[in-house]
Amino acid sequence: MAMRHLITGQNNCAPDGASSSNPLNALANAVLGQSSKAQSIKELPGSVSVPSTSDFGAAGPLSTIPGSENEFKQDQRPLARGADFIRGGPANDWIESFRPPGVPEFGGPEERFAEFDQIYNNTGTTFGPPLDGPPQRVLSGVLHSFLASGRAGVPFQPVPVPALGLSESDKQCIRDRSCIMARHILADQPEEYIQAQVNTLLHSLDIDNRMRGPMHGRYPELEEYWNQSQSSTGPAMMRNAADKWITEFGKQNNNPENWANSFEQQYGPNGWASEFEQHQSQMAMGQMGGANMANLAAMEQSRMLAQTLASNNDPKFQNSKFFQFVSKMSRGELIIEDNQVKQGSASQSSGWADEFQTQYNANANSWADQFAHEELSQGADKWVSEFSSEHNQGALNDNWVDEFSKLNVTDEWAEEFSGGGFGESSADPWVDEFQEQLSSSKQNSGASRGVYVFSEMNPYVGHPNPMQEGQELFRKGLLSEAVLALEAEVLKNPDNSEGWRLLGVTHAENDDDQQAIAAMMRAQEANPTNLEVLLALGVSHTNELEQGEALRYLYRWLQNHPKYGGLALPQSTDSPYGPDVIRLFNDAAQMSPEDADVHIVLGVLYNLSREYDKAIASFKTALQLKPQDYSLWNKLGATQANSIQSADAILAYQQALDLKPNYVRAWANMGISYANQGLYEDSIRYYVRAVSMNPKADNAWQYLRISLGNASRADMIAACDARNLDALQKEFPL
Amino acid sequence: MDGSSLKSAQLLEQMRLHLATGAGKELTKKVGLVYQLNIAPKKLGVDEEIFVVDLKKGEVTKGPYQGKPDATFSFTDNDFLGIATGKTNPQIAFIRGAIKIKGSISAAQKFTPDIFPKPAKL
Repeated sequence: MAMRHLITGQNNCAPDGASSSNPLNALANAVLGQSSKAQSIKELPGSVSVPSTSDFGAAGPLSTIPGSENEFKQDQRPLARGADFIRGGPANDWIESFRPPGVPEFGGPEERFAEFDQIYNNTGTTFGPPLDGPPQRVLSGVLHSFLASGRAGVPFQPVPVPALGLSESDKQCIRDRSCIMARHILADQPEEYIQAQVNTLLHSLDIDNRMRGPMHGRYPELEEYWNQSQSSTGPAMMRNAADKWITEFGKQNNNPENWANSFEQQYGPNGWASEFEQHQSQMAMGQMGGANMANLAAMEQSRMLAQTLASNNDPKFQNSKFFQFVSKMSRGELIIEDNQVKQGSASQSSGWADEFQTQYNANANSWADQFAHEELSQGADKWVSEFSSEHNQGALNDNWVDEFSKLNVTDEWAEEFSGGGFGESSADPWVDEFQEQLSSSKQNSGASRGVYVFSEMNPYVGHPNPMQEGQELFRKGLLSEAVLALEAEVLKNPDNSEGWRLLGVTHAENDDDQQAIAAMMRAQEANPTNLEVLLALGVSHTNELEQGEALRYLYRWLQNHPKYGGLALPQSTDSPYGPDVIRLFNDAAQMSPEDADVHIVLGVLYNLSREYDKAIASFKTALQLKPQDYSLWNKLGATQANSIQSADAILAYQQALDLKPNYVRAWANMGISYANQGLYEDSIRYYVRAVSMNPKADNAWQYLRISLGNASRADMIAACDARNLDALQKEFPL
Repeated sequence: MDGSSLKSAQLLEQMRLHLATGAGKELTKKVGLVYQLNIAPKKLGVDEEIFVVDLKKGEVTKGPYQGKPDATFSFTDNDFLGIATGKTNPQIAFIRGAIKIKGSISAAQKFTPDIFPKPAKL
């Protein structure tokens, strides 16, 4: 081996460490093979004379070469060899379990529990309900009785068990796990007794009843390596004093037969601890359920974050204060209140053990619970204190704040969370709500950027004349149906400006300004000078409180008007000044006082400048000219409502509804007027009417929810959240 | 509120008018707290405009509060509107880091959508 390294020039020969450029490298590899192959060579009968882990023996002389990097090399070699094994075979799981205890590994231990559970319940989820399949039940029963007898200190009585049809790997798992479990439970018993117990169990399950190390027989190479490394590299490893765990590992594992034992000692508690951690956070969520949503959410989120972070194996990062902070957040040891970090109740280590126990006593429906309970009552005091001290040490100072802010993550991680999936571990409806919130806000932001969101299921796609159908439905007042027909039309003819315009009008009447804006923008693309479209865009942007946009479209209305276009200022401007525009429209109104449209635009403009009295006067003038325009009555009502003349507003809305009974916007506005007067019961009836005519009217749903709360009808909030129209209409008839 | 280009300013103007009505007076009786709102047009904390919603006296004013408000909120224009119209859950917004709160947490918890009047749509 030394020869090979000499030739390949690792660390020593190659200039600049560019060993790959060494032509001898290829030769050496061809002759000697890669390290895995060298492994098998070493196992050939003839090679016994090579000192059993030749690497170290042979590396010794080399270290005397001046300027060599052999010290480093010696330290690294065993780890590198280990790494070869990781890559080399299916021993991943096993190798993984030798992760140093300081490095939390969220996935691993869980997986091991899951594995056990899987054998048991044949389900993938750790705490899922047991399947009813007879073999699983039988197996479960056997294992339960085994554990029960172990706890009671009574020898396990073999029971006749029918053939279970276990696969080889299942058997292997049961054998390995039961060895580990038995040593947990029967820790105070002599080794012979434990073995006898396990053998009895395995025998009754018709499993090869030899208690052995986990990899015995199946991975001979591995075992070979194991023996070698234990027998001769031990001292070499000792040099690596910094890595305490390796030392410990080496000491404990001299006898491979004791592998299970040492695994349990070293990693059982840790695996369990990590699981406990999860449970604790869930428990804490349960306990604090009513108290403070913010903390729960913070815990949930930081738990997610902690898991993400934990998957980063960089030890520097793992030890960073930021990571520790997030871990603590996730366990509820720290909570944030008033933007200040405080110690949470969950960190009081005296209390949590009790809490934990009660938690487990409370839901003893799975075997894992029993095990955990057992573990606790067996007096695992040592690790308890270890665990708590490990996690309580390093009291948080201000440094993390700096570190945190240096990373400048606040925005990023919030976004990351919104991308990540939550809720798999929490039954909290609030989390669902959050998810819904996120998805809906995504949709909304899409719409507000002017992206039209089409309905998913549209029966009118393929209709021979969806435009005509849409117009007909719109006239009949079937707005939601009209939307579908018109969507089919614009899907068929994307450049149909009138189709988009009518779609926009329909959405506006259906109380959905964002979709209205999106549709009107497409209409304007197809026909940039259509006055109706420009006015509609001005109105919808006014409703969305987007003053600048609204003003721009209304000014464009003037510019494009055949009669008043000449009034527009000579220099083109993209951000017109409000008072200027109002002045120009007043000039237009003087030019032709009989043009209702000018008064309508003026009314909208005065709404923008919050001169409500003038706006009301303008709309009233327009109504004298166009008394049958239901949307004008609604505009008057809305202006009155926004200037707190709610009683007048209701009269105006009533006019609009007399002209167009299915005018969803007016129904919703009615609700708003009642709500703003504190008449919540009445407002509910109008909101329910609005949403029953357009179940997609999100604003109305939101207002309905608020009114239900204010009217002390919290009992119906669930129906509102579920958008259960039947229940709401029954409860609040109009 | 005049001269502000914030969308929130429109709502706060309506709030100012609303507080003069019967329902608004009920509100001051029920809540009785002073909130200061630092509203940023786009990015949290940048170019903030400061408003005070005084539910003790029943008024809405521009500029910082003279004294100590019960709670001070910092958010963006859109987030404030979302909260005031019931679109956004304030607690979620807080978790997302979209709101920063100073002052009493119990006062902050009374800052809910139902204290604001709803704008009607033209």
